Amino acid sequence: MKNIITIIKKDLKMEFRKRESLTSMLFFGILVLVILNIAIGTGQKIAPSISGGILWVAIIFSAVLGLDRVFSNEKENRCIDGLLLSPIEPETIFIAKMTVNFIFMIIAEIILIPTFLVLYNSAVSFENLPMFIAIIMLLNLGFSSVGTLLSAISSGTSRNDIMLPILLFPILIPLIAATVKATSELLSGSGVDKYLSWLYLTMAFDFIFFGSSYLLFEHVIKEG
Amino acid sequence: MSDSAFLKIERLKKSYDGVNALNGIDLTLAKGDFLTIFGPNGAGKTTLLKIIATLLKPTSGGVTISDYDIEEHPEEFRNSVSVISHQSLLYNELTAKENLEFYADIYSIKKPEEKVAELLKLVGLYERRNSKLSEFSRGMQQRISIARALINEPSLILLDEPYSGLDQHSSMLLKKQLVKLHDDKRTIILVTHNLTFGMESATKVGILVKGKVAFFKDRDEIDDDNFDDTYFNYVGGKTI
Repeated sequence: MKNIITIIKKDLKMEFRKRESLTSMLFFGILVLVILNIAIGTGQKIAPSISGGILWVAIIFSAVLGLDRVFSNEKENRCIDGLLLSPIEPETIFIAKMTVNFIFMIIAEIILIPTFLVLYNSAVSFENLPMFIAIIMLLNLGFSSVGTLLSAISSGTSRNDIMLPILLFPILIPLIAATVKATSELLSGSGVDKYLSWLYLTMAFDFIFFGSSYLLFEHVIKEG
Repeated sequence: MSDSAFLKIERLKKSYDGVNALNGIDLTLAKGDFLTIFGPNGAGKTTLLKIIATLLKPTSGGVTISDYDIEEHPEEFRNSVSVISHQSLLYNELTAKENLEFYADIYSIKKPEEKVAELLKLVGLYERRNSKLSEFSRGMQQRISIARALINEPSLILLDEPYSGLDQHSSMLLKKQLVKLHDDKRTIILVTHNLTFGMESATKVGILVKGKVAFFKDRDEIDDDNFDDTYFNYVGGKTI
């Protein structure tokens, strides 16, 4: 646990010093929300079935920009070898990097979700707030676990910026679809029973992909 | 210097897609030995160091250190080994002090601040402790890399082309630091193309050709005047 915190603190210190990932994530996310808002018509209230999709398009595409940085820092000067040479387990590195990605997503969402609610005249009622937070956390967990594994794979390729989304999005489709459906139902004010099955699907996805990413990480990060 | 084997490499082989990078390496080193390995590009020098450092798995054969098999006890082994290469393994965005404190935390060093200060003084960069790594010259980065490698007080240090990219002055400074590192407590393996620097610090000398140890002798048995010829003779393909 101590080593996980040490790596997280180091990564966050480097990010807040340079602000490369968070700045690009926020800028891109806000840009997507504004462009779609102009396309649909500013000030118009849109159907909840569409708004869920718009929100997650902005968050997920901006989050991909952050994923790339977490391992490119380690690639510089072969710092990853320094970590692999130390007594810490590769799984510890995985948990730390996944948590950093998770934290980046939370920070981006703290800005992007209120921006979305204002631009699209949407609202989340106080009683639905815990469920909305649960949906966000489940998406973040699945995205950051698969994203961490795949960014470790793509960081070893020459065109990692292109390779990462090509590998990532086909795997994430079930998670994104279930999250969009659950969010749309929640924003339309439907009862929990309407979207609980989608939440179960995201939980199953998180369980399978967190587990497999955790187990595969050692084989991905180490050379043959 | 103890005569008992500290590091033992037996029948070590590594192949990539059927191509042999290491072709059956056998080496034994005692505690305190300083082995310099020379060899042309592609001879398998870096692959050998990576396997000893547990960064690569061998195809067959094994490495034991103090009778511990490194594949069976990788964590214990990693606590006692360090690598210095032409890459610093340090973060450009962190200061010299922050980089070393990070590694001190990872290795669970007691009193990390004191240890970091001691190492920065050792490499002569204590006054620049709050400068970012990216602000240092290549030679200074290599000195911080030496401090990093000493943070866990390793009994085995692996040096992979540490002179690469350094100017003559920085190479001389590095050579002096390496001589300081070499005492009876530490075993050192240096891989380099630089015959002059490599010969100066060594107690044992090896030449690796096509994944095999083609030449291995005590430093005392080598005639310095003819070593250039010997080297080029072996690199030309002859093996023993």
